[in-house]
Amino acid sequence: MAEHPHAPRSPRQVRDPASLLAEARPRADADAKLSGRTRYPTDRIEAGQLHAAILGSPLPHARILSVDASAAAGLPGVHAVVTAADIPGPALFGLRHVDRPALCGDRVRCIGDPIAAVAADTPEIARAALAAIRLRLEPLQVIDDALAALAPGATALHGRSNLLHQVAHRRADAAQWAAAEAACTHVVEAVYESPRQMHVCLETEGGVAEPDGAGGLVLWWGCQNPERDRQVIAAMLGLPPGRVRVVGSPVGGSYGAKDELTVQPIAALLAWKSGRAVRLHLSRPASTDLGVKRHPMRIRMRSGCDGDGRLRFHEVDILADTGAYATHGPEVLDAAAEHAVGPYDWPALSIHARLAYTNNGIAGAFRGFGAVQVQWALEQQIDRLARACGIDPLAFRQRNLSAPDAPGPLGQQVVASDGPRLALAQIARHPLWIERACNPRCDDRHRWGLGLALVHRSDGFGRGGPNGGRLALALAPDGQIELRVSLTEMGQSLPEAIRALAARHLGCAETDVRPVIGDSALAPDTGAAAASRSTTLVHRALECEGRAWIDSLTEAAAARLRTPASSLRFGPGGWSDADGRPVLGLAQLAADLVGPLPSRVIAVPPEETPSAVPGAHWVFGACAALARVRIDTWTGALRVERLVIASALGPVISPMGLLGQMEGGALMGQGLVTTEHLDMREARYLARNLDGYQVPLLADAPQIELWAIEDLMPDDPVGPRGAGEIAVNIAAPAIVNAVSAAVGMPVDRLPIAPDDILDALERHP
Amino acid sequence: MTPASLIEVDFTLNGQPARVRCEPTRRLLSVLREDLGLTGAKPACGIGRCGACLVWMDGKPVNACLLMACRLQGRSIETIESVGQTEQSAPVREALARAGGVQCGYCGPGLVMMLTHLYRQQPRPDAREASAQLCGQLCRCTGYGGLQRAVDLLFAD
Ligand code: FES
Ligand code: FES
Repeated sequence: MAEHPHAPRSPRQVRDPASLLAEARPRADADAKLSGRTRYPTDRIEAGQLHAAILGSPLPHARILSVDASAAAGLPGVHAVVTAADIPGPALFGLRHVDRPALCGDRVRCIGDPIAAVAADTPEIARAALAAIRLRLEPLQVIDDALAALAPGATALHGRSNLLHQVAHRRADAAQWAAAEAACTHVVEAVYESPRQMHVCLETEGGVAEPDGAGGLVLWWGCQNPERDRQVIAAMLGLPPGRVRVVGSPVGGSYGAKDELTVQPIAALLAWKSGRAVRLHLSRPASTDLGVKRHPMRIRMRSGCDGDGRLRFHEVDILADTGAYATHGPEVLDAAAEHAVGPYDWPALSIHARLAYTNNGIAGAFRGFGAVQVQWALEQQIDRLARACGIDPLAFRQRNLSAPDAPGPLGQQVVASDGPRLALAQIARHPLWIERACNPRCDDRHRWGLGLALVHRSDGFGRGGPNGGRLALALAPDGQIELRVSLTEMGQSLPEAIRALAARHLGCAETDVRPVIGDSALAPDTGAAAASRSTTLVHRALECEGRAWIDSLTEAAAARLRTPASSLRFGPGGWSDADGRPVLGLAQLAADLVGPLPSRVIAVPPEETPSAVPGAHWVFGACAALARVRIDTWTGALRVERLVIASALGPVISPMGLLGQMEGGALMGQGLVTTEHLDMREARYLARNLDGYQVPLLADAPQIELWAIEDLMPDDPVGPRGAGEIAVNIAAPAIVNAVSAAVGMPVDRLPIAPDDILDALERHP
Repeated sequence: MTPASLIEVDFTLNGQPARVRCEPTRRLLSVLREDLGLTGAKPACGIGRCGACLVWMDGKPVNACLLMACRLQGRSIETIESVGQTEQSAPVREALARAGGVQCGYCGPGLVMMLTHLYRQQPRPDAREASAQLCGQLCRCTGYGGLQRAVDLLFAD
């Protein structure tokens, strides 16, 4: 019997944990990194460099009355002092909203907001110069809560209102809505609070800015988008973009933190004004002040299902705190609104999301991007409804999945996918699930809980975002095939993915490929290494034009050999004849060609949903997971013991890369649930280093098991989905649901502190 | 800065005599990275919480961000620049690379210094003890899956 293309199916191509590990190959850069030979931008320490120091605002909100830097500028050993007045071009930068000053001129809007900076012979002189700057500030009303920010009469941080962005989406008119509610047997409502998580890249922001000796500037600075950094800095200095070069790789961790610029414009300005190389490397406390965080959100959800366990309506109200400047805030809110729907079918849906400016630092891009905050809330709702109906949480989810070819969360057209279904099916056959009744429940001191979660998440930017990108293929003089991208390597195995994809699409060996990454001078504008898009982008470019470019090389090889191209086969290393005898190597061709060597720039057009829903996504990947936690009822300590993840992300390009992204993302998601919240009082951080802010250590890591489902829908046009973020998205809700099951209480606030657990146990012994 | 507040210390660095003149409270991490050009040890917290700056003093692991120059006189310091080149760390580096213990790599040099120290101890600790000794090594990228696999490889009984 012919199978209906959309009939529910079980995953067929699944990499089990052992096979992933068996195929995982070491990264090419592993030994250089492990033996300390890799030079990060912050390792470019050389004699003759000036040391930079930044004067940040001591108040979270104030008008700048005056900045007198004359005494500082006169100190011996000081080579440049800069304030907003020294910026030749536009002083503000930003993505959708251009609102963040490189240096504040008239007003400061968060603690540490930069006002002035110094470049001096030594760090001590730089600090002394900062102390000599006379600053007069007039305090303004401090807005330290998103709700208060939107109240009438609140001082506006920018323009006339603190409402930076909002999203409203409704499916069902009033009558349909009333009918949907009336059909419900169970309704759950809760307000969830998601914390201010900090990225904690081990390498804090820093690098070197230096004049290039030819009227331009070079920046060695870890980032996710060197091309954009150079455009911002060139504009700020009033230079054509070609006069600025940004080398943004390798990066000692980013996770979104280095997607938008932070203090590199200040380093550039100091180098420009002093005419000298300037080095700046933020201390951990300064990085805490100046870096972005995950958006804290307050999420109200009210959701209902009928007596058969069919979801009927879902009402969501999101209030997010974006802090002092926009950066990626609007896109984060768009993602939150879209992912609050989940992979479920809600006949009636109402989403309202608002994003408020406050003086609480700056929130921006963070792996899991806007979605993870609402996903743990949504998955709590789903679990609670399933329990109310007396249906097991897996069957309940299966029953309510949207159809593979249904419109996307906001009604937009999307690439068809049955990833959520496949991922659930994979979990359903895992022993941890099948034997759930036999799992330990409690002993005289501990309690165990098992939590299931399901998420889908978007790839790439939403509609209207910078989704296109360009990259280049080139034959190098030594015969290597160079694939040049301006994307940077942050630990995500970009070079490995490039080598594997090039070998797959071009037919060469991985060793024939040399990835050239992270340098705005060597590659066309590929856009940001962000939004889980890098692998897909490279895949699409090679799929479209890779073969054609190889064919053009084959023509050149044929001309050189005086033989018809049709008689040549391209493969690892070069060409062979019809009998498979090697006749010409890539290196030989490169050596023999006269004139410029062949190269081609491939422009990948933005792939977006054709539906006119701003910010909505086109492609989704999916994951399901099971978490088992153990609660110590004496101390409230929470231990995540196991995490079983089934990912449905298409073909596995690099087993090691996939495994690493999933394990790393999962522990970051766990951190959000267990310990990570950067608390603020009156818009000041209560912790600024790793003593007060705790991230998971080896002892906290659960046993993680990954099942990678490779099946895609027949005729899937996209290929591999990004794996860079989704583990954060899936781990957090699975662990939340496990804790909730262990203590027998809903969880409505993260992180879950031991005291919260003890409180819950007291109320529900 | 009055020169009178500076001290001069002599110590052994990676087997070679070294001499620095600096403030007594200057941290070894700054001495290594900024005065001596050895950037293998990384600054990530500056308060002894992450292990990215780990070096050996007289063969024992210490956080270079905490160690003051005034305590260096006559000591022997070894850093990743030498330990990372030697045979003694080769099994550790290989295990980490094979097991997926490195992504961005910023934590790597500190990890190798700590693991090599544990690996060459007599008697060698078992995997449990070794894991417990790694409580001061922070890695934000890998989720420790690769590190745990490397530990299991290296310290299997
Ligand atoms: S920098 Fe020394 S322990 Fe973190
Ligand atoms: S690999 Fe990035 S911190 Fe460990």
